[in-house]
Amino acid sequence: MSLPSVDEHAQKLPLEFADEHESLKITGFWMFLVTDVLIFASLFSTYAVFHNSVAAGPTADQLFKMGPVLLETLLLLTSSFTIGLGIYAMRKGQVRALMAWTFLTILLGAGFVTTEIHDFVSFAALHATWHTSAFLSAFDILVGTHGAHVTFGIFWAVTLLFQLKKHGITERTARKIYTFSLYWHFLDIVWVFIFTFVYLNGKLG
Amino acid sequence: MSESEQSITVDEAYEQDNDKSIKFLRPRFHAEAFPTVQIFGYVGSLVLTFAAYFLVMNHVLPVLALLIIILTLAALQAALQLGVFMHVQEGRGMAWQIIPLYLVFLIAFGMVGMSIWIMLFKSGVS
Amino acid sequence: MPSFVPYLVHTLFPPTVRLPDILLIDFGLICAGIGVIVLLTKTRRWGWLWNDWLTTVDHKKIAILYLIAALVMLMRGGIDALMLRAQLALPTTHFMPASQYDEVFTTHGTIMVFFMGMPFIFALFNAVVPLMIGARDVAFPRLNAMSYWLFAFGAILFNISFVIGGSPNAGWTAYPPYTGLAFNPGPGENYYFLALIIAGMGTTMTGINFLVTTLKMRAPGMSLMKMPMFVWSTMVTSALILFAFPPLTVALAMSLFDRLFGSHFFTLARGGMPMMYVNLFWLFGHPEVYILIIPLFGVFSEVVATFSKKMLFGYPVMVASIVAIMFLAYGTWVHHFFTMGAGPAVNAFFGLSTMLIAIPTGVKIFNWIFTMWGGRIQTTTAMLYQMAFIPVFMVGGATGILLAVVPADYQLHNSYFLVAHFHNVLIGGTLFGLLSGLYYWWPKMFGMKLNETQGKWAFWLFLIGFWVTFLPQYLLGLKGMTRRMYTYPLGFGWHDLNVISTFGAFIMGAAFVVLVYNIVWSLLYGERDLTGDPWDGRTLEWSLPSPVPEYNFPRIPVVHDRDAWWAMKQKGQSLADLRPEDVHDVEMPKNSPIPFLLGASFFVLGFGMTFAWWPIAIIGFVGIILCLLFSGFDYNDHHHLKADAIRQTEATLGRLQG
Repeated sequence: MSLPSVDEHAQKLPLEFADEHESLKITGFWMFLVTDVLIFASLFSTYAVFHNSVAAGPTADQLFKMGPVLLETLLLLTSSFTIGLGIYAMRKGQVRALMAWTFLTILLGAGFVTTEIHDFVSFAALHATWHTSAFLSAFDILVGTHGAHVTFGIFWAVTLLFQLKKHGITERTARKIYTFSLYWHFLDIVWVFIFTFVYLNGKLG
Repeated sequence: MSESEQSITVDEAYEQDNDKSIKFLRPRFHAEAFPTVQIFGYVGSLVLTFAAYFLVMNHVLPVLALLIIILTLAALQAALQLGVFMHVQEGRGMAWQIIPLYLVFLIAFGMVGMSIWIMLFKSGVS
Repeated sequence: MPSFVPYLVHTLFPPTVRLPDILLIDFGLICAGIGVIVLLTKTRRWGWLWNDWLTTVDHKKIAILYLIAALVMLMRGGIDALMLRAQLALPTTHFMPASQYDEVFTTHGTIMVFFMGMPFIFALFNAVVPLMIGARDVAFPRLNAMSYWLFAFGAILFNISFVIGGSPNAGWTAYPPYTGLAFNPGPGENYYFLALIIAGMGTTMTGINFLVTTLKMRAPGMSLMKMPMFVWSTMVTSALILFAFPPLTVALAMSLFDRLFGSHFFTLARGGMPMMYVNLFWLFGHPEVYILIIPLFGVFSEVVATFSKKMLFGYPVMVASIVAIMFLAYGTWVHHFFTMGAGPAVNAFFGLSTMLIAIPTGVKIFNWIFTMWGGRIQTTTAMLYQMAFIPVFMVGGATGILLAVVPADYQLHNSYFLVAHFHNVLIGGTLFGLLSGLYYWWPKMFGMKLNETQGKWAFWLFLIGFWVTFLPQYLLGLKGMTRRMYTYPLGFGWHDLNVISTFGAFIMGAAFVVLVYNIVWSLLYGERDLTGDPWDGRTLEWSLPSPVPEYNFPRIPVVHDRDAWWAMKQKGQSLADLRPEDVHDVEMPKNSPIPFLLGASFFVLGFGMTFAWWPIAIIGFVGIILCLLFSGFDYNDHHHLKADAIRQTEATLGRLQG
C-alpha cells in the first residue's frame, strides 16, 4: 500500500482505523492511557512529598548512580524510535519489517528491564530497600510501577508477534500493534519524567 | 470486520461524524515516503535528554532555575513523543482523545503541585 | 487432627466472627445457598444461568445483573444502618460491642458508596444509554462484562469478610494509622483494600467504556448538543471516573504494601506520613461525590421533562453547569480535611472553590423548577421522587456551604452535623434519583410497570423517614455529638434526639420492605407494557418495544432534534413503520466466559493476598494471565444476526410492514 502525499484528506484510512469496531478500541486505549497518566501522577505526588523523608537511610544524591540511568534512558528512547519505525513499516504493509522492528523493540525493552533490576539489586546490597525509609518506598513504587509496565509490555509484544505471524497485517492485528505502540511511547514519556524529576532532581540536591 | 470491505477515506469518516463543527479535533494523518518525522523525533528526544543531563551535572544555574528548565525540557519531550510517535491527531472521525489528554496533563501537574503545596504545611500559621 | 486445623479455624473464624447474630446469619446464608442450588438443579436451570446470564455481554442483561447486586447491597447496607441506629438509641445496653460497631459503620459506608451507589448507577447507564443514543451495544461489550464481574467479585470479597476472618473496621475512608498493621492486625483491612482495588478496576473500565460509547457511537445526526441530558451526565461521569479512580487505586495499593510488605508510606516510623493517604484518598473522594450525583441530575432532567410534558428548560445552561461541576470537582478535595492544618492560604483557597460549586448546582435547581413551571405535571412515583429531591437537596447543599466555611468547619468537622449533611445529599440526591430512575425505566428493562400505588407508599415512607432520621442529627451535631461513637452518657441531652432519629431509620427500613414487595408483586402481577412507550416519553429508548430485543434497533434511527422520539411523534413518524428491505444483517458480540473467569481469578488472587497465603494468590494470578492470553488470541468474538431473524422478531412485535 503506497500512500499518496498530495492531498492527505483524500487518502484511505490506515488499516487500523478501517474497521469501525476496531478503531473504537484505539480511542478506548487513549482513555486507558489517561487513567495511567494519573496513576503515575499520584505516584509522582507521593514521591514529591516524601523525597526528603530519608529517615536513617541514604539520600537521593548519595544513592543514585547516573551511569546505569543514562543507559536505561538511551535504551528506552531508542526502543520508542524502533516501534515508531515499526508502525511506519506497518502502514506500508511490510509485515517482515514490522516484525523485525517489534522484535528489536522487545530486545531493547528487555535490556532496559535488566539494567533496572541490576540497579535495584545494587541498592538492596546497600540495604536501601523500601523497608528503609518513606523516600525509598516512594522511589521503589514509582520506578517499580514503570518497570512493571515495561515488563508487561514486553510480554504483550511477544504475544503480538505470534499473532502477526499467524494472521499477517489485518485490521485487527494492525490495531493491536498500534495500541501497543501507544503504550510503549507513553512509557517513554513517563520515563522522561522519572529521569528528570527523580534522578536529575536528586542530583540537584 | 471482513477485510474485503472497501475502506473509507479520512475525509469521508470526518464528514460522517456528528461533531465535525469542533474544528481542532479534526483528524490529521502523517504520510511520507521516508520516515523523516520519526528520525527527527528520535534525534530531538536525545538532544533534549542530554541537554537536561549536562545542565544538571555541571550545575550551570541555581537549583530552582535548573529544576524549572529541566521540567520544561521534559514537557517538550512529552509533546514531541505525543505529536511525532503517538500520532495524537489521528482518528476515525474526530480525534476525541485530544480533550482528555489536555485535561489529564492539567490535572496531573495540578495534582503534583497542589499536593506539594498542601503537604508542606507551610502556608502560614497552622 | 492435623496441626494446621486450629490455625485455619483461628484465622478464618476469629472470636470477632463468632457472635450469635453472625452465626445466625451464617446459618441463614447456608440454607439459602443450598436452597438456590437445589432449585437450580431441580428446574434444570444451570445451563440457562451460565449461557444467558453469567457469560452474557448484552448491556441490557448486564444492567439487570448490576441492579440485582445493587438492591442486595442496599439491603445489607440498610441493615447495617438499622443496627447502628439501634445501638445509638440504646446507648447503655450493649446491643453491639464497640468492635462490632466499628465494623458495622465501616461496612455500611463502604457498601453504600462502592457496592450500592456505583452499581445502581451503572445499572441505569447500561439499561438506557445505548438505547438513548441509538446504538446496538456499548463500545466494548466484553469489557463491559469484565467490569461487571470485577465489581461483583470485589463485592463478594468485601462481603465475605463478615463471616471469614473479620470485617474492616477503620471507617469507609480507611485512614492510616487506623489501618496500620501495628494498630490493626488481622485480615479485615486487607479485605477492604483488595476488594476496592478490584471493584475500582471494574469501575475504571466502565468509565472508559461509556466515555467512548457516548463520544463515538451516537446515531447519525445526534451532535453533542442534541444528546439527552442523561447521556451528557453519563459522559461527564465517565470522565470523572477516569480522572478520579487512579489516585484511589494508588492510595489503596500503598496502604496494602504497608500492611503486607513492610513499606513506609503511611506509617508513623521512618519518615512515613499518614496525611498523604488522606490527600490521595480525597483527590479521589471528592470527584467520587460528583460521580454519585451527576448521573442522577441526568435522571431528574429526563424525568422532569417527561412528566411535565415540556422540553427541559435551559438545556445549554444545564450542559454548561454540569461541565463546570466536573471541573470544580477537582479543586475542592482539601475541604474534607481542613482540620489537618495545612494553613490559612490552603484552606481559604479550597473553602472558596467549594462554595463556587453552589453556583452551577443552583442553576440546575432553577432549571428543573422552570421546566415544571406551566407544565402539565403527572405525579407518578418517578416524578414524586424528583419533586422531593429539590427541597431535600437544597437543604443538603446549603449545609454543605456552611461546612465549606473554614472556621465553622473546625467546629462541625466529624460531628453529626456532617453526618446529616452528607446523608442529606446522598439519600436526597443519589438514592431518590436512583429510585426515580428505577421507576421510570423499569418498564423498558422488564416489560412491565411497577405498581404505582405501592410505589407511592414506598416513596412517602422514604421521604418521611428521611426527614425524621436526619433533622435530629443536625441538632445532635450542633450539640457536639461526634460521629462513629457507639455510646454516650445520658446526661448530654442527646438521647431523645437519637431515639427520634432511630425511629426515622426504621421508617426508611419499612419503605425498603414496601419497595421489595412492590418489585415482587409487579413482577408477578404488574401491568404489561405493550406499547414500549408507557410514559409518552421523549427520548429514543421509548421508540423501542419493552423489553428491548437483543439487537436494540433493527434500523439505526437518524436524529434531527434534541428530544428525538418526541419530535418523531409530533411529525407522526414511528419506528414501527419498518420496511422489510430496511433490515440488514447485524454484527453482534458473542457471549464469552472470559469476563466471569477473570473476575473469579481476581477473587482468588484477592482472597490469597488477604490472608497472605501466597500459593492461592499465585493460582489467582495465573488464572488472570490465562484469561488475558485467551482473550488476546480469541479472534472469534462476533457473530452475524441474520436479517431474516430480525424481520421475524419485529413481525412478532407487530412492527414490520407488509
